[in-house]
This record gives sequence, C-alpha cells and structure tokens, in this order.
Amino acid sequence: MCERRFLGDLCLPVRRTLEPAHDPCPEQHRRGGCRPVHPEDLRPHQLNYLGPPFNEPDFNPPRMTRAEMVPSATVDFELWRNLNDNARLAANYRAYTHLLCYLRSMDGQVAKAELRKNLGHFCTSLQGLVVSIASVMSSLGYPLPSPLGSANPTWAQGPGATSTHNDFLKKMDDFWLLKELQTWLWRSAKDFNRLKKKVPPAALMLRLEARGF
Amino acid sequence: MWDNPSLRCLLAIAFLHLLGLIYSQETGFPEAPENLKCITHDLNRMICSWDATSSANLGLTYKICYTNSEPFSPVCIETEGKRADIPVTIGSTNIQITTLNASGTPLATETFVLPEENVSLIPLTPQILNLSADFSTYTLYLKWNDSGSVFQYELDASWQIQILHKETLETVALINYDSKLTGKDSILSWDWTSDIPLECTSYYVKIRCYINEPYFTGRKEWSEWSPIRTVPEKDTKPNSPMVFPQDKVVLVGSNVTFCCLYNEGESIKFMKYGSKSYPLLRLNKWSSAIKVQNVSASISSGTNVWCLLEPDGLEGTVLFVGYAPDTPQNLSCETHTFINITCSWKPGRATELYTQRQTKYILFERISKENVTCEVDELKPEHHCNFSVHANQKIYNFTLGASNPLGQAESSLLIDVTQRVHLETPDKFTVSTNSSTNAHLSWYIPGNFIQIRLLCQIEINNSNSEQQLQSVSMAGAENSNYRAWVDALHPYATYTFRVRCSASEHFWRWSEWSEGKKLTTLEAPPARGPDIWRERSPVGETLTVFWKPLLLSEANGIILSHEVSCYSREIMLKAHEVPVPLNSTEIKLGGNDCLISVVAKNRAGSSPPSRITSMDLPSDNVKTELAIATGNGIYISWPSDPNVTCGYTLKCCISSGSEPCKVDWEMFPSNATDAVIKSALFQPGVRYNFSLYGCKHSGYQLLQNITGYMKELPPKVAPNFTVEETSSDSILVKWEDIPVEDCQGFLKGYILYFAKGEKSSSKTSFTDEENKTEKNITDLTKKSLRILDLQGKTSYRLGLRAYTVGGIGPLKDLYVVTKENSVGLIIAILIPVAVAVVLGVVTSILCYQKREWIKETFYPDIPNPENSKALQFQKNICEGNTALKTLEMNPCTPNCVEVVETQSTVLKIEDTEIISPVADSELPEDGSDPETGSHVVVSYCPPIIEEEISSPPIDEPVGSSQVIYIDIQSMYQPQVNPEEEPEINFVTTAGYKPQMQLPINAMKMESHSPTEEDLDKTVGYRPQANTNVWKLDSPDSPISIQSNNENGSFGSPCSINSRQFLIPPKDYEDSPTHNNTGWSFTNFFQNKPND
Repeated sequence: MCERRFLGDLCLPVRRTLEPAHDPCPEQHRRGGCRPVHPEDLRPHQLNYLGPPFNEPDFNPPRMTRAEMVPSATVDFELWRNLNDNARLAANYRAYTHLLCYLRSMDGQVAKAELRKNLGHFCTSLQGLVVSIASVMSSLGYPLPSPLGSANPTWAQGPGATSTHNDFLKKMDDFWLLKELQTWLWRSAKDFNRLKKKVPPAALMLRLEARGF
Repeated sequence: MWDNPSLRCLLAIAFLHLLGLIYSQETGFPEAPENLKCITHDLNRMICSWDATSSANLGLTYKICYTNSEPFSPVCIETEGKRADIPVTIGSTNIQITTLNASGTPLATETFVLPEENVSLIPLTPQILNLSADFSTYTLYLKWNDSGSVFQYELDASWQIQILHKETLETVALINYDSKLTGKDSILSWDWTSDIPLECTSYYVKIRCYINEPYFTGRKEWSEWSPIRTVPEKDTKPNSPMVFPQDKVVLVGSNVTFCCLYNEGESIKFMKYGSKSYPLLRLNKWSSAIKVQNVSASISSGTNVWCLLEPDGLEGTVLFVGYAPDTPQNLSCETHTFINITCSWKPGRATELYTQRQTKYILFERISKENVTCEVDELKPEHHCNFSVHANQKIYNFTLGASNPLGQAESSLLIDVTQRVHLETPDKFTVSTNSSTNAHLSWYIPGNFIQIRLLCQIEINNSNSEQQLQSVSMAGAENSNYRAWVDALHPYATYTFRVRCSASEHFWRWSEWSEGKKLTTLEAPPARGPDIWRERSPVGETLTVFWKPLLLSEANGIILSHEVSCYSREIMLKAHEVPVPLNSTEIKLGGNDCLISVVAKNRAGSSPPSRITSMDLPSDNVKTELAIATGNGIYISWPSDPNVTCGYTLKCCISSGSEPCKVDWEMFPSNATDAVIKSALFQPGVRYNFSLYGCKHSGYQLLQNITGYMKELPPKVAPNFTVEETSSDSILVKWEDIPVEDCQGFLKGYILYFAKGEKSSSKTSFTDEENKTEKNITDLTKKSLRILDLQGKTSYRLGLRAYTVGGIGPLKDLYVVTKENSVGLIIAILIPVAVAVVLGVVTSILCYQKREWIKETFYPDIPNPENSKALQFQKNICEGNTALKTLEMNPCTPNCVEVVETQSTVLKIEDTEIISPVADSELPEDGSDPETGSHVVVSYCPPIIEEEISSPPIDEPVGSSQVIYIDIQSMYQPQVNPEEEPEINFVTTAGYKPQMQLPINAMKMESHSPTEEDLDKTVGYRPQANTNVWKLDSPDSPISIQSNNENGSFGSPCSINSRQFLIPPKDYEDSPTHNNTGWSFTNFFQNKPND
C-alpha cells in the first residue's frame, strides 16, 4: 500500500510499516541485519516537488525550529534496544499523530490540486497507521500516550502558522518534516519487526485487518 | 516740459556723462565697492552683492542708490552688509554704491550700470516634502513643493531628480521632470521603480529646479540641489541574512535581480537560481546580487533562489514565475433551476501560478451591483460559478473578472435568464400502464419554473429499435412532478421510454435524457384471423386445413391455440381446438362440403374468424405456364377470370433440404392478374411449381399450374449425346434430355460444335478453336442432328452444350472419324491413267506415221566426235579410259608428267598449265593450317598417272621420286571424335574417310608419337584416299619420306572439273577401276552419256 500516487515527490513505504510481518525492513537492512535508519537514506527524487536544492542528494540545510519540535526518530541504537514495547509504540503513536497533523495542514499549501488529492490519500493512509498503532497498544493493554508538549503547539498548526515564514523557509520545514516522517517510517518498521517477535503475529495481523488494512 | 521724451533722453545722457566723470575721479579707493553681482529667485527682486575692502574700517555702511529708467528719480537705501535687495527692472539698472564710514562720511562711491543680461535667475532650492518606498514593488515615491506662488504668473519649470545608491553614492538614475508653475504652490509627486529590491542597498534622492522664463534675458540657472534624502528603512529589515525579493511573482520572460544580505563576518560562497549558479554582483559590504535574465515559468512550488554563506548559513527565497490571467473564454450563463445562474468559462492559458497566487475569479452583475467570488476547480478544464437569481430581475449583465498578482482580465455577458433555461435531468422517472395501448409517465424536475412553460420530449423505443418522439408542453411548477400520457401503443409490446425537457417559449438547451424505463403493454385479442388454406385429399374424404401463424403485431399477445370449425348452412358440424405450434389439421368431410372457420386465441380473447369453403370446382384443360425469374422473386401472371369473385390463391409447396415440402399460399384480390412471389426459401436455379386457384362463388377452381425459377442459372451438366451414324460426309448425332433438376432454368436450346481434330491432339475448348462450326438448336423437341458436308476419312471433334436464360452449360465432346469414299478414289486414279494411255497411243501412232519427218527435223545424223581429229591426242593419252568424257567439254590439259627417277626428298609437282601457286608457295611447311582457310588447287591426277604411281614396288626406298596431283576445292574439316580415333583401323577402313582421320591415323602410324600440337595442326583438309596406298605408291610423298613438311596428307586425288573430292573405292587395292566407276557416277548427271 505504498502510496505511489504522491510519487516522485513523497513516496513513502506505508505498506511496509503497516505489515511488518511481510517486509519489516528496507532491502539494505535485510542483508546484514537492520542498521539504524538515517534521514540521509531519503532518495532525492522524492522531494522533487520542492525543487532544487531540496531534491539534491547532498543537500543538508540547517534544521528548522519547527522540525525540531517533532519527536525525532533518530535514536541511539543502544537506547532503542533498551526501550520496551510500550515505549516504542508510544513514541510511534506520538510521532505519527503530530506528523499527521502537520501533513494535513500542508494540504492548503500544496500548489496543484492533483498533488493535494494525493496528499489527502496519503494522510488517510497515515491516519490508518495511527489508528492501527492505537489498536495494537490497546490490545496489548498499554495506555495511549498524551499529546506532546502544549495542547496547541504553534508548529502543529502547520506551515504558514508563523507569519514571518517566507516560502523558502516553509519549504525548509517541509523538507525536514518529510525527512523525519521517512525516518519514522523506517524506524517503525524496525519497531514492528521487534514487536512481531514477541507478540503472536496472528493477533497483530488480525487487529490490523480489522481496521481495514 | 518733462513730458518731452527727447529732452528727457538728452538729460539722461548728460547725467550718465556726469557720473562717468565722478567715477573716473574716485577710482582707486580701497573701500570702493566692486564686482557687483545680482541674482533673482522670483524675477521680482534681486539680490545684489559686491566686494569691498573693509578690514581697516569697521563700522562701514553702504548707501545704495539705484535708478531705473522709470521712475527717473533714484531710490537710496543704506545697509551694513555688502548686499542689497533691490527690485528687478526691465532693461538696465543704475546702481550707485557709496561706502560710508561710521560717521557717515562717504569714503568712496561706485556707480554700476546693471543690464538685465547680467542678472541671473536662480530658482529657490526645492525641498523634498516626502520620500517613501514600496518595497514590494521596488518603488520610491517623492513629493515636493514647486513654490509656484513665488511667481505671479505661469511658468515652465523643469526638475532634475537624482537617485543614488550604495554607500559610495553612485548615481543610479538622473531623471528630468517638467511641470508648469501656476502662480500657486503645488505639491508635485513622482515615483521611480528600481530593478533591484530596495532592501538590497541604501538609496538616496535629491532634486533641483530650473525656471524657463522666455522673456527674461538674463542668465537662467539650475537651483541648488535639495538636501539629500535617504530612503527610509523597511520596518521589518532583518537582522539575520536574507534573500530578496521575498516570494515575488513575476511574468515569464522578466529579468530579476536577487540579492543576498548577510551579516558582518560572513561572506557568500555562491548564489543559485534553481540549480544554476550565477555570478555575484557586489552591492556593498553586506549585500551581493545576481541578475537572472528572461526567467521561465517556475515549478508549482516556485523556483528557489538561495545563497550559501560562509562560514555557515543558508538563505533563500522563492520566485514564482507565471503569466497574467487569460481572458475568460466561452463565457456562458444559464439557469438550471431558476434559483441560481451558473456561468461557465474556460480559463485559457495556464498561469502556472498556484495556491494564493492562482487566478481569482469574481463574477460581477452590473444591474444588481452584486458580485460573487468564484471557487474554481483547477482540475476541470471548465470553470463554473453560481449567481443567485433575483426576484423580478430577468436581465443580467455579468462581468467575470480574472486576476492574479501579474494582472487581470475580464469577459462580459448580457442575458435574459428566461431565455437561458437548461433544466436539470428529469429525475424519479416512472412508467406505468393498465391497458394494452396506453402508458403513464411521471418525472421530477428540481427548480422553480412557475414563470415559464416547459416542453418535454418523450422518446419511445420499441423492441424493433424503432424510435418515436412525442413532445408535450406543460406549465412549469416549483420542484414538482410532471406527468404525461402516451397512447397508440401496440398491445403486448415492450417499449423503452426516456424524457428530456427544456423551456417551451425560448428554447435554449435540452436537459440530459432521463434514465430509460421499460414497459410492456397488456395483451389484446388477436387483430385478425389467420390466413387459411385447405387441400382436399385425392379421394375427397378428408380435408386438410392450413393456417399461417399471425405476426407478433397481429397476435397482440401469445397465441395459445387455434379453433377450427366446420359449418354447413350456418350450423356448426364440427369444431376442435388445435394447440400451438401446430398449423394444420385434418377434417373428415364424409362426402359433404362445409365452410371451414379458423379462429386464433390468446389470453385476451379470440380473433375474428377466417373462413374458407371446402368445395373444389372441377377444372379441365389446366395448362402449365412458365413464370419469369426476376432475380429475387418469381413473376407470375394469369389471365383475368370474371367468374372469380373472391380472389385468387396461389399455392405452392416449397421444400427446403430433406424436409417434406411445406404448403404455402398467397392470396390476391379478384382484380389482380400478376404478382411477384418472394420467399426466403427460394433458391436460384431451383424450379418451383405453383397452382393458381380462383375463388368463385361456389368454391375454388384450379385455373392453371405455373412453374418458374427465382433466378435461372446455366445448366449444371452437359447433355449426353452419341454418334448414331457415320458416313464419309456426314455424322448423325443424337442426344438426351437433361434432368430437370440439372437444368437450373428453362432450356432454350443446344449448341453443337464440330471441327476437325484428332483425339490425340491437345484439347482446346471449342471457343478457342478457329475453324469450328457451331449449330444452334432451338427446337427442343429435336433430339438428333445430322452434320453434313464433311470430309471422308477425317477425324472430327464434336461438342454439345445446353443453355438457358441464365447462361450456357458445360460442354461434352467426343471424336468421330468419317468413313472413306472408295468410289471417288478409284475414279480419281482411273481417269488420269486412261487419259495418259489414250494420249500415249495417239502420240505413238502419230510418231510412227511421221517418223521420217521427225527424224529429219529433230534428229538428223551427227558426225561421231570420236572421229574428230581435234580430240585425237586425247585418245592417246587417255586411252582405255572411256569414262573421262569431261575432257570433251573442257579441253583436257595434257598433263603429261614424266616420272623421273630422283633422290630428291622435296615434293615435286609439275604442271604445265594448272600450277597451283599454293602448292608451291602457300603450302605451309608445318602442315595444313585449317585456320587460314587457304584454297589450294592442285591438279587432278589422271588415272593413267595413278597407274604409273601405283606401279612402283612397295619396298621402293624412301626418297624416290613422287608426283602427286591434288585439287582441293575447299577445306574440309570433319569433326573428329578423339575417343574413336584409336579404334579406327586405317588399313581395313580404306576408302572414303573423313579427311581428318586419315592423316591422324597416318601420323600415328608413321611417327608413332604425335603430339597434341601435331594433332591440332593436322586439322583441315586431308586426302580422302587411303594414304597407305599413296605412301606405298608414292614413296616420295611428304609423309613417306618423313620430311619436315608435316602436311604429308596432301595429294588426294580429285576431279579437275567438279572440283569435288574424289571418293576412292572401298576396295581400292583390289580394283583400281572402281575408282573410275565412282568418278563416272558423279559425272552421270553432268555429262551426256557417251553413246
């Protein structure tokens, strides 16, 4: 269910994340065991929509303030190993909740209607992922985490919320947040892979299927 | 007295002269004023200043007296400074300046004559009232006071505005601006647009003025520059690095300058537009720029412009490049519901701008002065916008405005809303019926149409795809159901209905068709009784009644059965019901005739009865007529019969394939006399038989039988024919009829072909044969034909074909040989023989009777040539050789050759009269050369000499003398088979041989090792005689002596007259006279026989 319609611009392997039992890791991870995912793995053509320099492979701009407010997927490997299932799932849930909020606010900023439509589809998929994570947590008896930070953070209002931001800075925001989203999706693949080893896959899949995936 | 101008002038001159004297007396005082300069700002007063030394005398004052031409009396003022304000006068002004000390004592006096030309007009220095900037448009706005009130009248003024930038105050622009002073103070404004964002660097402005007074003859100069004004800083000037312009929208093809601002300590590494780097233009120490020419349309998110700073930093902006909106195209407005007016248009060229920069559309209605902002869907090629319909307003004047940051465009449209009604698709469409011919339709149309009438179109499609449209007009209503009623439908038929509507009075557009609804009408009794026929059995006991099934349109439902009744005098004798699908039944008459009635029944009822009488009237002398094939039917005609009162019935029985024939019939009215019968069962080339019955008052009568074809074809087979009888000059041919099924048409005749021809010869069709004869036999009763005038004992080829209107059938042919005419032959032989005999006898008799006269006339005595002395010598030479009669015709050359004993190996030929030069000079030393084709003529060797030659003993030594007579007419070159050569025994095959062989064999024998070359060289003429004989007889021959001359074969005996090769006798050695025999035979035809 990789949302290829947003393709070329924001193709994200949602299916892998939703069905870790099938293909939990990207190809390069499967060979020598999963390595910590890194935003540098983001393929440049996925950001064509933003134009150069954002789609250039070696482009690494300073991290924007708003992007720093999103829970980072990059974590020390040892620290990640020491996390329990609840902490992992809660981190996923929290991150996707915020990323989804951000992506929804992007809708008005995406120039072409066709792209907006595809973004809408992608958000629907991501919403499904958030619901799925919540369902898994519920089935495992974990409480849902509270929202991060304040009740209505400025960044959560999406791009344009800060009036001083010009279009270039908004693109910088988009760039970092999309990279973060990519990283989170890869991390989720690893998280679900680890979870799968502990929890009977049937239960997990049953729950996912029940949610329409 | 002072009014006299001339006197006044004289006094003025005298006064000036006096002043000049004074001036000349006082010059040289240090306090004397000098260098008087006067300027005016307003052409009213002028400020005059002068220089004077006053350092040693403090408290000096100056008395200035000036005199204009009028009033004449001078005006004096005192001042402490070295300047004075005096009025400007036309012409010149006399100014006397006297320097006074503190006590008022004049120290020096100076008088100046100041003409107007020496006065400078310098306007007051202008002041900039306001300088503002619009950073988004890079525009500066300048305002200043023109000080027009200084002058009391209108004047032309020019202004010069200077724009400077950077810290170094480089001039960016120097602009001239003209205005008119009106005598009042006015605020002038002016704006200037930079091609670089104003944020990129500092800008400064100053201004000066120039008054153009055409009547002022003095110097006119620019005013002083106004104090410099700095462009105010942007409120939001960043403290951090930035790139300008920020988020700007420009037209495709524009030239855009971007600058990157950075902090102290930073520097720019590079600056890119998109992915392309551009050369940096340094503006100042904290700003650099790039200039991008002719920008193309940007991507949907805009083109990024960014600069990378050192040591660490990235700044950027986004440029949106697109087009101004196109004029909305095909603007059209209509109402669907009378609630809203929907306007639609095509946006034209894409602007390439999106989101907040995309084209915004506003629909403005001028009459109501209302406007609507239109939400458009970019994905759709056509945009729509709704405007509410106002009560009591029919006319709407719309203007659709399109705007984006780059421009705007508009389209206008004036409509009467009642004439632009495009109804919604009829909804909730239902169809119902409770009869066999009617249907009720109902549909719903949303909208308020109270003020108009609607016109609706109902499309009715039946199961045969026949379409029918019915229009119905109805009053409009508000959100209402509309009903219509359709009649004249066919019972038990399935129809599909659709409906669409429009405004009735002012048609604009039809609505879309509603969905189709199917309906089947109810059944009704069959419309008519079936077509019936009956056939009486041969005996007449039973009657078979046939009927045809009704058409679907006639049955009005599903036919369940047919009721067959038999009436006699209105009394029903019998009746029984025959279920479908049977279409015939038998009725036993029992000797009585009755009236048969057949009724078709369905669920709705029975059809009207069809009646027919069972009575047949006798008919006699019934003829069979031929029908005419029309290609797709059979044309039948019959004579009109006045007794036929109730029509004709044409009956036939058509069989298809192996099934038994099916009785079919067709009825015609009484006045009909012909018809074209068509049936899908008819096939071309098949004969169909019809019976025509006439319906008379008392019954049916067979009038005639008709046979015919739908389409006639050529006969399928050729007629069988045989030769019955043959004579020497005629053949009787007999043929048989072609079976009817093979005729495929009515036979029109036969074509008989005959021509000479052998059976063994290659068969060609008769049509290709040129000498054929054909006979057309049109009398079909003839079954035989005698062909006359043929030649005896000659082979003939006969062919027979039949033909119809459809064409000529295939050919059958056979061969026959006529008999020999023996009597004629005998006569042909006997008559000439008899004539010859008679002539012979008569001639003999006549000759016998006139023998003496004949002898005297034709055969007198002739002296014997042998007794002639002229030929006496021949007798001596050629004694004993009586065969040489040629010597009589050609005086024999006395080739008397004396054979002399000699040891010479050289061939010696002696010929006193005929000496072949070739024999001497051209005979090749290396043998014969066939290629040269040389014609060697060698004398004939008379037999007497041969005898002499042959006389020497065989073992005569080589090298003895030899004489050979040769006459070669031409080179004879027989083909030699090299394989056969070794088998030739030259000894046993003595006699004539191909001349090639002999020398080869001879050479083989003699030299035993002839080379191939030698063999080749021997090709050509060779003596015919046995060379062995020559060798034996002529030891001096070239071969026998083994000389170098390889042409040893020459010397063949030959005839001197015929110049032909002599053919030596086969058994030459045995009988030398045989040689002469051969010679004599040759001359037999050439010479008269000797005796």
